[in-house]
Amino acid sequence: MSLRRPPRGEYIETDTGNKVARKATLVGTQNIMLGGKTVIQPEVMIRGDLVRTIQASSQSGATPNSTAVAIGRYCFLSRGCCLRPPGRLYKGAFTYMPLRMGDHVFVGPGSVVQAASIGSHVHIGAKVVIGEFAIIKDYVRILDGTVVPPNMVIPNFSIVAGQPARLIGEVPEGGHEAFELRDLYKTVGNNPQPAPS
Amino acid sequence: MAAITPYTYIQCPCSDSSTLGRSSDTNSSRADGADDDDDRTFDPRAPRSNYSLYPLEYLLYCEDCHQIRCPRCVAEEIVTYYCPNCLFEVPSSNLKSEGNRCTRSCFQCPICIGPLAVTSVETKPDPSLLAAPDNTAAPQSGPYALTCSYCNWSSTEVGIKFDKPNGIHAQLSKLRNGGTARLTAKERKERRRDPSYRSSAATEQGDGRSGSDEKLDLETQFANLKSFYQSQLADPNASDGGLAALSDLGFSSPTSLSRIMSIYTGGSLHDKKAKLRVGAIREALEVDEGLQLADLDESAAIAQLHSEGHDGTASTSRLSDQPPNFGEAHLHGRSRFVSELRPIPYLLRTKRSKRCPVCRHIISKPEAKVQTTRFRIRLVAGSYIPSIAIRPLSLSSGSGTSASGSAGIPGALLEPLKPAHYLLTFTNPIFESIKVTLGAPAKTPGRFASKVTVLCPEFEIDANTDVWDEALKDPSGAGELRDRERERERRRHKGEEGGNVSNNNNQLEVGKIWERGRNWVSIVVEVVPAWLRLEHGTEEQRLREDEDLLEIPMFVRVEWEAEAVGDEVGAVVGRDKEAREKRELAYWCVLGLGRIRH
Repeated sequence: MSLRRPPRGEYIETDTGNKVARKATLVGTQNIMLGGKTVIQPEVMIRGDLVRTIQASSQSGATPNSTAVAIGRYCFLSRGCCLRPPGRLYKGAFTYMPLRMGDHVFVGPGSVVQAASIGSHVHIGAKVVIGEFAIIKDYVRILDGTVVPPNMVIPNFSIVAGQPARLIGEVPEGGHEAFELRDLYKTVGNNPQPAPS
Repeated sequence: MAAITPYTYIQCPCSDSSTLGRSSDTNSSRADGADDDDDRTFDPRAPRSNYSLYPLEYLLYCEDCHQIRCPRCVAEEIVTYYCPNCLFEVPSSNLKSEGNRCTRSCFQCPICIGPLAVTSVETKPDPSLLAAPDNTAAPQSGPYALTCSYCNWSSTEVGIKFDKPNGIHAQLSKLRNGGTARLTAKERKERRRDPSYRSSAATEQGDGRSGSDEKLDLETQFANLKSFYQSQLADPNASDGGLAALSDLGFSSPTSLSRIMSIYTGGSLHDKKAKLRVGAIREALEVDEGLQLADLDESAAIAQLHSEGHDGTASTSRLSDQPPNFGEAHLHGRSRFVSELRPIPYLLRTKRSKRCPVCRHIISKPEAKVQTTRFRIRLVAGSYIPSIAIRPLSLSSGSGTSASGSAGIPGALLEPLKPAHYLLTFTNPIFESIKVTLGAPAKTPGRFASKVTVLCPEFEIDANTDVWDEALKDPSGAGELRDRERERERRRHKGEEGGNVSNNNNQLEVGKIWERGRNWVSIVVEVVPAWLRLEHGTEEQRLREDEDLLEIPMFVRVEWEAEAVGDEVGAVVGRDKEAREKRELAYWCVLGLGRIRH
């Protein structure tokens, strides 16, 4: 590495606009798909190594699908959160299943996500635990400290909180724009922009 | 004490008329003096205010009435019912017959309300297996149970096992706790008709103590009572049917006449016959008629309470979560123990459309399909009225005064009697430039009056221009910014980064806008927080709840010129296309700035 180079920033910025912190721990990067414009803050862990070991029978002929974690666009993984694909017994053998995440998903600091799927425009607060094979639909807000039990389904426009998670409200019609993470995306990186007032 | 982030709540005008009606509000003495509504200051602390203040996101806007609508005043209509667990839509016809709970295999844990999964009982309770959403694919067979993967509760604890892993709801409705079968309505009817069953039951009873000791389950008792009272109601009519039979209308019958009379006179004119007839209806006396003697022997429950203690009893929230009529126990012996709770079928959720209460136009309508998040109509207030963002403004000591050092940190406590400055940023969402007039009382209402000065109560905000301009605001596309925009952009950045010391034009000045942008304007509000001690009020020294909260009521009046809308009949007649009409919208809002140190 030449000394001419500008000082290394805290983040690696990819061509598709992903901002991945150098201090983030990504295991099995070949199995992690980033949709672009996604921010991965320091101390985030993504377990891409927990890949599906048994292929679904329909896919046996095709090339094995080895995506463990799929993340959409404009997702924001805060410091210290962990994405871990869920695993279970399938036809008598243990296998992991892919974790899919839509666009504009915010994962708060210190949260652990083991969901099967997370929709788009989802806000997960700080120190939240999402159990294995939970399914979270779109426009869902999970408040800080919530524990979502395994297999739970959270429908659209829900606000959940508590241990275990309980529906406490609905996202109002005017609250949809608050889930947009485009502005937040600009505030981090090697040359962050100030947040718009 | 938890620090708060500044917030803005807006008062829906629907509560206005109600407050108009009663001017004698307890803690707004000023309001009593002023008869005119315009002079009255909105008090955010009034008990009534709790129900009329909403964050902007919760408010809708009726385009026909040009008025804000809140969740309290809109009329809701249900578009779709669906199960929140399996996300299947439930047709409303099913709803009438099956009730408002999911009739598929969706159940909640009665202990922790976590979702229950169907698992095979035979296999060892392996945690990874419990987590599996359905074990139908798994090769196990045999009895199945519902298990909670959160608290490890299992339906085997209440003695419920299933033969099949699907159709759990239908199976559960036939099972009582402990696994005994529960009669369906059809079976009950058959048993009532079948004398052989009754005799056999009586012989089983052994010490046939008039049969009234027989334990009836809730449904059977209800069915018995219902048929008994129906026959009772039918009986008196039959007895006086001699005359009534003469005419179909029954007007000639004295009893029906007296009945009609008693309807219209409110029962004050009791004649003897009516009394007699009332007396003719008797109560149930036998098991067949639905009599069930109260089981007052609670020794079993007491013994269980002794052995299990308080932890073994079900909390009221758990009991209220239990589906009605599902408990096997009798009404006067409701399940009181955790060990008697049954799995809860998921309550259905709804998608709802909203109507304006005044003009009945729909102001919010979601797509009917469960999975879609789109709306056909969504008129939210946020796209019609300016949003107000609050930010503490820390003036560095360059301006001479040591102003509000602590206010710079968001959520910090406000120092009493120390002026603090807040930046209010008004963002205009509409495509016309708007004129905003603010009105705030010089002193906040309540026992502890903080002084409030809005430095610039009147200003104009430019129109919210094209979406493309917003996109070009992105610094990557800064070259394409129009000159005017760039100029503004620069001014804005200077204000933010240059600091206040170097920026002479950013001195606090009355009547001047602090900063302005494409479709937003920032102004400064100066507050002098109150000293939270009563000087001579010895009787009530203690602070009441949230009295340390600094909330400023503010009256916002927005004026703009809009193109005359064609759909208003008569409004455009005689005018040309270019006609502009003046619009005005005024409402109270509350700015919550923070807590005062005390």
